[in-house]
Amino acid sequence: MSFNLFAAEEEALAKARALETRLGALAPDCLPEFRDLIAAFELSTREQQRLVRVSDRLQGQLNDAIHELDRQRSEAEAALDHLREAQEAMVQSEKLASLGALVAGVAHEINTPVGIAVSCASHLADATQAMRRRADGGTLGKAEFARYLATAVDTTDLILGNCERASQLIAGFKQVAVDRASAVRRTVNLAAYIQDTLVSLQPKFRPSGHAVAVYCPADLELDSYPGVLSQILSNLVMNALTHAFVDGQPGGMAITVDCPDADTVRMCFADNGRGMSEEHSARVFEPFFTTRRGRGGSGLGLHIVHNLVAGVLMGSITVCSAPDLGTSFTLQFPRRTPDRDLPVEALTM
Amino acid sequence: MKVRAENHAMDCLTIPATGRTPGVSFDFANGHLRMTGESYPDDVAAFFGPVFEALRGFLDDPDGGPIRFDMELLYFNSSSAKALMNIFQMLETVAKGGRPVTLTWCVEENDESMRELGEDFAEDLRHVVFQMREMPAGGPP
Repeated sequence: MSFNLFAAEEEALAKARALETRLGALAPDCLPEFRDLIAAFELSTREQQRLVRVSDRLQGQLNDAIHELDRQRSEAEAALDHLREAQEAMVQSEKLASLGALVAGVAHEINTPVGIAVSCASHLADATQAMRRRADGGTLGKAEFARYLATAVDTTDLILGNCERASQLIAGFKQVAVDRASAVRRTVNLAAYIQDTLVSLQPKFRPSGHAVAVYCPADLELDSYPGVLSQILSNLVMNALTHAFVDGQPGGMAITVDCPDADTVRMCFADNGRGMSEEHSARVFEPFFTTRRGRGGSGLGLHIVHNLVAGVLMGSITVCSAPDLGTSFTLQFPRRTPDRDLPVEALTM
Repeated sequence: MKVRAENHAMDCLTIPATGRTPGVSFDFANGHLRMTGESYPDDVAAFFGPVFEALRGFLDDPDGGPIRFDMELLYFNSSSAKALMNIFQMLETVAKGGRPVTLTWCVEENDESMRELGEDFAEDLRHVVFQMREMPAGGPP
């Protein structure tokens, strides 16, 4: 037996038709009106069936729409995941690239004192050879020996000085590189650390005649993440070199540090370059915002700076700029970074 | 919901479509009635009340000429479906009285279930001439 949703209605109609027959015999004058009633009931039943189908169709459409929505939502979520992964990868490669630039910078920087030491040593060796020949031949004069001594003192001074310089550079670089890679927290002298970081960047700005002036209290000690500071400074300098200065014209940058109160450090990084419009300065910290897409700009440098200042140093950064009036970034952060539960590695991502 | 109806001496009834209510253009002078868009009004009585009133006035005129009704709704809810059936019964009544009535059920191409509904709705029309017309898809979703 097949299921019939409208069995009751059909049963009622069957009864009505049976009644119609009896009514035809008993009260024939009532018959037309009764038939109208049956027709109305039949129509009503058909309409009811139709409405059930309309309603089922609507429910079906609703289900389709919900499934479609679900599908689109999963698609959008997958796309968002991919985007996050890509963004993460870009941030990582940006970090690696800046570490690479740091290595290249330091190598270039160490080259100078080592080169001087090598040529001094070679000069001293030549002079010593000549002295030995004279001494062996018994023709060494007093005046000549005095000249040799003067040369030896000068060159050994130079060798010593330049080797010390190279050793300092290596020590500074080692510290910066270790800090960068490991995000270790420690106490650091800010003025010295700024210098160490700038040394690694020298080759980037010296050939074009750019200069960085540093005004920082010599005794200011931070208890913070120096590697993060180094990365911030390096990104700010690179940003200025890329955007601020008209090609071929030497520009100036200044890092000014003060303490508005005992527990707060304010660091201002300013350049006297071409500045930027309000529209651009409002967006500089946005990820992937760049005016140099396809020409080496990733749009991540300042975004990373912003994240590091806000996330790791627990401070703030603002930008102030106007066309032809240069740009300045002002960072404010606690001298002693507050303790937190989160691993710093998670934040520097 | 308020429906703004322009009603010039019952020559026509024009209600612009909104997101939830259909467009109504009843050109009584020429006997051409159309409903377009989508129909799932918040308040069925408030929307269809004036429509039925105007339609009843038009159909009650004993000197009326032929009527063409174009049902171009793309989507309607159950209450609107019942309202449509009532309109069709009103048309069927005047057609039975001898007034020529043509009802055109418009479906978007490929909308099979809407076509089936149209055939279903035509089941009780004996005197109204029922026809199906395909429109190109891609109207409002």
